[in-house]
Amino acid sequence: MRTFELESVEAIDQAVRHRSVHDGQAFIAGGTTLLDLVKLDVMQPEKVVDVTRLPLKRIELLDDGRLKVGALVSNTELARHDIVMRDYPVLSEALLSGASTGLRNMATTGGNVMQRTRCPYFRDPDMPCNKREPGSGCSAIDGINRNHAVLGTSDQCIATHPSDMCVGMVAAGATLVLEGPEGQREVAFEDYHLLPGNTPEREHDLKPGELITHVILDAPRGGGQHYLKLRDRASYEFALASCAAIVTLDGDSVSDVRLALGGVATRPWRATAAEEVLKGQPATQENFERAAEAAFTDAVAYSHNGYKITLGKQAIARALRDATAAARV
Amino acid sequence: MTTDTGKTREHNLSAEKPRIDGTLKLTGGADYAADRNLPNQTWGYPVTSTITSGKLVSLELDEALAMPGVLDIFHHDNFDRLSRSPNSFAEENLTSEPRLPFEDNEIHYQGQYIALVVADTLNHARAAARKVRANYERSDDFLTDIRTLDRGEGDLPGEEQSGDASSLGDADSALESASVRLDQRYTIAQENHSVMEMHASVAQWENDMLTIYESSQGVVFQRNALAKIFGIPPEKVTVISHFIGSGFGSKLFMWPHAIMTAVAARRLGRPVKTVLSRQQEYLATGYRPTSLQRVRLGADDSGRLLSIHHDGCNESSPAGKHDDTVSGATPKMYDCGNVAVTNRLVTVNKCPPCPMRAPGESSGNFALETALDELAVQLDMDPLELRKKNFADKDPASGLPWSSNHLRECWDNAASRFGWDKRNATPGAMKDGDEIIGYGMATQSWEAMRQHCSARFGFRADGSLLVACGTQDIGTGTYTIVAQTASKLTGIPIEMIDVRLGDSSLPSGPLSGGSFATSTVLPAVSAAFDEAVSQLKTLATAEGGAFENADTDAIEFQDGRLVHGGQSVDVTQLLKDNQLGLVDAVGSAQPGDEQSQYSFRSFGAVFVEIRWDPGISRLRVARVVSTIDIGRAINPMTARNQVEGGIVMGMGMGLFEQAEFDHSGYPYNNNLADYILPVNADMPEVDVELLDYPDYHHNAFGARGVGEIGLTGVAAAISNAVYNATGKRIRDMPISIEKMLAS
Amino acid sequence: MASVNRHSTGVGFCTPGAQAEIAERPRAASGKTSDTRRITLTVNGQQHALQVAPNAVLLDVLRDELNLFGTKKGCDHGQCGACTVHVNGRSVNSCLMLACMQEGAEIVTIEGLAESAGFEQGHHPVQEAFLEHDAYQCGYCTAGQMMTASAIISDDSIDGDEASLREAMSGNICRCGAYKNILEAVQQARGKMRGGQ
Ligand SMILES: Cc1cc2nc3c(=O)[nH]c(=O)nc-3n(C[C@H](O)[C@H](O)[C@H](O)COP(=O)(O)OP(=O)(O)OC[C@H]3O[C@@H](n4cnc5c(N)ncnc54)[C@H](O)[C@@H]3O)c2cc1C
Ligand code: SF4
Ligand code: FES
Ligand code: FES
Repeated sequence: MRTFELESVEAIDQAVRHRSVHDGQAFIAGGTTLLDLVKLDVMQPEKVVDVTRLPLKRIELLDDGRLKVGALVSNTELARHDIVMRDYPVLSEALLSGASTGLRNMATTGGNVMQRTRCPYFRDPDMPCNKREPGSGCSAIDGINRNHAVLGTSDQCIATHPSDMCVGMVAAGATLVLEGPEGQREVAFEDYHLLPGNTPEREHDLKPGELITHVILDAPRGGGQHYLKLRDRASYEFALASCAAIVTLDGDSVSDVRLALGGVATRPWRATAAEEVLKGQPATQENFERAAEAAFTDAVAYSHNGYKITLGKQAIARALRDATAAARV
Repeated sequence: MTTDTGKTREHNLSAEKPRIDGTLKLTGGADYAADRNLPNQTWGYPVTSTITSGKLVSLELDEALAMPGVLDIFHHDNFDRLSRSPNSFAEENLTSEPRLPFEDNEIHYQGQYIALVVADTLNHARAAARKVRANYERSDDFLTDIRTLDRGEGDLPGEEQSGDASSLGDADSALESASVRLDQRYTIAQENHSVMEMHASVAQWENDMLTIYESSQGVVFQRNALAKIFGIPPEKVTVISHFIGSGFGSKLFMWPHAIMTAVAARRLGRPVKTVLSRQQEYLATGYRPTSLQRVRLGADDSGRLLSIHHDGCNESSPAGKHDDTVSGATPKMYDCGNVAVTNRLVTVNKCPPCPMRAPGESSGNFALETALDELAVQLDMDPLELRKKNFADKDPASGLPWSSNHLRECWDNAASRFGWDKRNATPGAMKDGDEIIGYGMATQSWEAMRQHCSARFGFRADGSLLVACGTQDIGTGTYTIVAQTASKLTGIPIEMIDVRLGDSSLPSGPLSGGSFATSTVLPAVSAAFDEAVSQLKTLATAEGGAFENADTDAIEFQDGRLVHGGQSVDVTQLLKDNQLGLVDAVGSAQPGDEQSQYSFRSFGAVFVEIRWDPGISRLRVARVVSTIDIGRAINPMTARNQVEGGIVMGMGMGLFEQAEFDHSGYPYNNNLADYILPVNADMPEVDVELLDYPDYHHNAFGARGVGEIGLTGVAAAISNAVYNATGKRIRDMPISIEKMLAS
Repeated sequence: MASVNRHSTGVGFCTPGAQAEIAERPRAASGKTSDTRRITLTVNGQQHALQVAPNAVLLDVLRDELNLFGTKKGCDHGQCGACTVHVNGRSVNSCLMLACMQEGAEIVTIEGLAESAGFEQGHHPVQEAFLEHDAYQCGYCTAGQMMTASAIISDDSIDGDEASLREAMSGNICRCGAYKNILEAVQQARGKMRGGQ
């Protein structure tokens, strides 16, 4: 593994004086993405800044009912937090479906937002990959793309965003708080991750030097919630398709619904079209399936991942069914 | 030294005992090869080919050599001139890849070693390896997956292996005249052993003696091969493998990384340790080759098999031939007089395949046992009945009687524990909520083999025993059953027995593979015991001894004492009287004429319940029941564990495992996240029962071995259960989500 | 001539003449040594002063600097669980941790598991249960299994039902497939440690 400098910071302003990855520097929190990729020589920081001593480990209920989560709160703590389990079960379930006990203990909220794609070609520095090395080509489009996206792809990159947590957050609704050399700003969670388009190397709206300090979850939406993750084996595998659903009922019809998808899209994916199909409609299996269809109208299949269109629709229909059932109790 | 064919005396030994090496394994004290750090040691890190076929034109090393901590880089232009091992199984010097490292500039496969960087630390070696630049002449003429060659009808691709073909009766005409016929093709994707302990070598030369710590299933084979390769006497090479983080066949025969490491250690005059990375080991240490199979069956209306054709095709490699002979066991499975089997090989641009748990047979079993299920559907017959109807009461291939065969009881026992009678044969008829339930079954089988073996048995003055053999314990429990055997023979408690394995300087023992270690080693331990006892008797009858001048035949060994008439002497006293710390002897055992009198084979039956949730395309194995006849289990606890582990690996074959290479030859999933293995959450309810019918024709302990059989049948039973649940017949393993959706 | 490695330029210098030079290159000439720093790690209750590189990985330091070989490497990338240790009471994958970031933390490895839990003599109940249930074969994944098991047993947020325990243990791959016995061992140890719940 390449050598790097390591610096530990104690205060946020110390951290944000540093420029980001683009300048050969990277923050390290849990390290489960960073060290994995440094060992593979995919990320090549000259300097690594340890942010784990920053005071960003709290979960705080704000006066307006929103929940403010520090960037260093571990995936385990967040998933098992009383308020999260009670008011944001879809997020708790999403977190607990990810990785493994040990990795969730290490992984942080900020790091999870920033995790990189699992595209095998991206993870091998000897292979062409537009995301890792702009202009070198995409090996997956003509190669094996079983794990790749069918939504939000471009002819430059078809890699999925692998996070489960982010899918739960998109459904729950959230805001990212970023702190940078120019001060603090907020970004809607849904807008934070970028589509690959012609610049797959640009994955998110984080400016050089900026740090994620918090994720603020919208005030609870109530309703029935469910996160369903489909994969080959029963655990310890990234999603092939997943769906976070929050369903609010008015009698037997859906008064509000939030749907987000994982494993099938190039970023944590809000399925707005599907939501529109369902809103105000009776909560029936038939309507769930119509909504699922709507979510994949624009899907593009590649040589090995056509099955994800079916699987993704199934994930939506079933998650809606189970979230609706939860809404009824 | 005496030779015991193992039949001299029957031993009644079977007991559930916790492993004697358990404490070491549970406290972190067991020393696996990669746990060895020697004084002044350096670290090797291989550089591997990133092309699949072609030539290595040049290496640029300047930058790498200038990296911190780098000591040297070994490659084609500066490597020692060595000889290949003769590669003989009989001479016990077989290697997995006969080609020597850096032998020439040909690139046969992606992941082939092109250099070895040696540095002071692992991080330095790994960082420098990234800086080695290779220039290639790339050839686009390569093949990584034989499935692309199959035309879907007629003969399988590849070159027929004359040694693999066998036939009984006239399978062609019998097929033609059969009233019920089936002709189907099956495939199994490449599986990786995925041993938890990555292959590791730590090599050290002292004067002209080489010591190498290796994660090996065959220390004697590796010692012999290294001696041939370096041109030195075997006595000058010691291979040590006290503990092995599993092998499943990939560590039976040495791979080139050990040779590179030994050369580097000699050149640097310092110990060198090379631990392959997971990515490297997935490309350079073997695999279960992809298989294509064609099965044709002919039966009469009552379900009697009239004809079986089984054709197989496997991958082999330009860097070393391996023939998995998937159809080899078929003639022995059922009572059918007209059988024809063939096997073919296709050379692919991958490292040599090698045996992987239940090699050949588990693949062939999948095709045959799935075909039988299909035949049962055609006949509208219960698949279990179909098998019972065709039970072979002797070995149809050789005509020899079985040494012991309780397959019928396995079928019945497992069927009743499983509740097979509740099966509804109509696909999709059994439901539970969102899930459709399917039941499937298959026969399990593995050949029972035995090799020659020597062991040392010693009595110590402190009352303890020393038992030593140059075999290994790869997790099967060999340490423990050897101790159980010594304890049974002597009456000395198991805690007082010091078992030494995994060292090539010990009396020559067998490979840990093929399920023959137990049947091979225990008779040698018994023979060595007899030898050691006769040494004790010699001492006792010598001048001034306890039974001076007595007839040794009249002296008996009982519970740590020598007994003569009404008198007895404690062995420890005998040693003390003679001022001896240890009395020991080597004994040997080998199979005898029973081999030409009987056919030795273990059988079992496995029943599987799967659950298919069509709404979310989720397939899970819910329940597995297996009953197996392995003769005698010396330690039923560790033996059951082997079968349970085999079932898990069989689930891998059936549901998840496939190494994938893209059109450019790129290995898409050479890591443990993308190559899918079963995890704990995939574990169904598993219920294994071992019948207890000691097979004393096989050896005096009645044990036929248990390492492989549990895996066989599982993939077929899963696929048959999937048919029962869905009416989908999936003939290509693994049964992935996309295959379920496509069919 | 095709060059897959995009950094490749021209033809290398590996002529026979050059090798002799490589072979004889003395150690000192092989470049600068990288910067290291002093850290103190608390492992199994003992403090260790160490000089390590900033990129030193905790797993490698435990094994190669502290000779604690009980913690295993099965993948080096968080994909198997063999390297699981406890840091401040939680199970973590030591292959993805920097040693330098663990100053001040309480690290426990399999070698110190029993003692850290107050079983000064003998084994931790998890170790006993693994022995009794034969919850291993080759033993290579086993330390990791037991470190995860011992952590989840004392974690109130993890339920004791079979599905929850299996799920919590799923980050520890056992290629020998001893999962059935592993579960039984975890259940037994859990019962013992939590007073027969
Ligand atoms: C084998 C394996 C399986 C996994 N399975 C899953 C899964 O099923 N589902 C899933 O969702 N995830 C999975 N993961 C991914 C895991 O969730 C992420 O690696 C983890 O969340 C990253 O968090 P971290 O704190 O470890 O990040 P780090 O590795 O510390 O950092 C990751 C990146 O984020 C940057 N960063 C960290 N903190 C901040 C911050 N506060 N502000 C700005 N930038 C920051 C770092 O510079 C780095 O680039 C898996 C990982 C592994 C290794
Ligand atoms: S899909 Fe994206 S990440 Fe993968 S190879 Fe193509 S460009 Fe790279
Ligand atoms: S070695 Fe750390 S998870 Fe595999
Ligand atoms: S005991 Fe061998 S990998 Fe688990």
